[in-house]
Amino acid sequence: MSLAPPLFLQTIEDTGLSTWLRESESPFAFYFILLFHTFGLALLVGANMIVDLRLLGFARGIPLAPLKRLFVIMWTGFAINAVTGILLVIAYPTKSLTNIDFYIKLALIGFAVWVMQRLQSQVFGEASLSKEAMTARGVALAKWSLVLWFGAITAGRLLAYTYKYLTYP
Amino acid sequence: MNFVQLHLLLNHFPIIGTLVGLGLLFISLSGKNDDLRRASLIIFLAMALLSIPTFFSGPGAEGAIKKLPGVSDELIERHHGAAMLALLFMEITGALALAALWQSREMPRPARWNRSMSAVLLFSIVTVGLMARVGNTGGDIRHPEIAPRKDGVTEELIISKIIHVFEPSPTKFAELMTASKWWWAFMMDLHFVGLVLLIGTVGILDLRVLGFARQIPLDPLHRLLPFAMAGFALNLVTGVLAFIGMDQYYTYDLAFWIKMLAIMLLGLNVAAFYLTGAFESVERMGAGDDAPPLAKFIAATSLFLWFAVITLGRYIQSFSDTISVHK
Repeated sequence: MSLAPPLFLQTIEDTGLSTWLRESESPFAFYFILLFHTFGLALLVGANMIVDLRLLGFARGIPLAPLKRLFVIMWTGFAINAVTGILLVIAYPTKSLTNIDFYIKLALIGFAVWVMQRLQSQVFGEASLSKEAMTARGVALAKWSLVLWFGAITAGRLLAYTYKYLTYP
Repeated sequence: MNFVQLHLLLNHFPIIGTLVGLGLLFISLSGKNDDLRRASLIIFLAMALLSIPTFFSGPGAEGAIKKLPGVSDELIERHHGAAMLALLFMEITGALALAALWQSREMPRPARWNRSMSAVLLFSIVTVGLMARVGNTGGDIRHPEIAPRKDGVTEELIISKIIHVFEPSPTKFAELMTASKWWWAFMMDLHFVGLVLLIGTVGILDLRVLGFARQIPLDPLHRLLPFAMAGFALNLVTGVLAFIGMDQYYTYDLAFWIKMLAIMLLGLNVAAFYLTGAFESVERMGAGDDAPPLAKFIAATSLFLWFAVITLGRYIQSFSDTISVHK
């Protein structure tokens, strides 16, 4: 069963911004946005991974409390990806919004960010917690965090190989 | 400079460099000279790194001479297959050498000899042998005066025939890599996973050296580096496999070559970190300590180059066909 894509997707594609992003030969168009999306994910998942690895027991010499600083990097990466992500959807609305893999990616990101929030508030949010208490709260969250983020990366990477329409048919 | 010149320049490293490394390793076996042993490991590591652009420059060189009179496609394929097998063993040797170097750091008094060293010795001997075959088969392409030929087909020694059994067929290998888009997607996915492993661990170490998050002592961050090595290994493997699948696409892409240059410069940067004493100056840095200028420079260079590598990698697609084909 195959439904026709909704017309609003074509409306978005016909706008000046969308067309410029897709068709411009400027190095600051599509590939630039995509590049910053990669930077954002490197910051976001890279920093989160360090916290997760530490909570799971690697490099125990790293004191847990100062790792709170890393959340700044994570949220910066997330902000960069939210903005570049919206621009990427504006550039190729049909390609992304008719692809179920895209929704899987958004769901995985949603859960991963929720876990990140809980890590920040429940593990690193209470200054009075002992290291042992922090770790106890954090272990399960850390495992889920790694799984969800690497799942999101996979879903994102597969977008290039799973789309049905590049532009409105 | 054209691809032929590049290939002929670079191929000296994996062939002769590994021989020098092996020579130093043998000499270090006899005496109590730990420095020589360490030097041989560093040489194997450096040659493993340089073998990568050497291998990548092959298809460009092939393209330049393929149509010339007297050049046999069969001899080129033979050399190409030999290079693939030798590259495999070279990279394994490099990985083992890195592991041995890393282990020797961890111990208060490095063991003179252990299992890691035995593994390096074994694999480096095989690598040197395979590299000799690569050099030989390469020479045969354009030097009919050195290859014993009969009816236009070179005669091989028994040992060469045995090795040839293990050499992959370049065309079949390329077809295998591009047969399924899901395999390609999987390789690209692993490439991103490796990227994150690398940037996460190297990035936080570099940032600490530069003064971010001073409450964290340096040594435990340094202990996370094996994750970076795993990420690099993942990307090396997926990168080489991708190149093998689409060598024309990458060969004639300017962004790809500058990316390779950036990776070689990163190798130099790592060497500078450990060999100039910069590492010693920061290794015992505790909470609140500040790193000396040289260490900060190396850390900044590392961050810059890794982000350059990501950028160049991302732009490979848009820079396709930016190097002209002939030459």
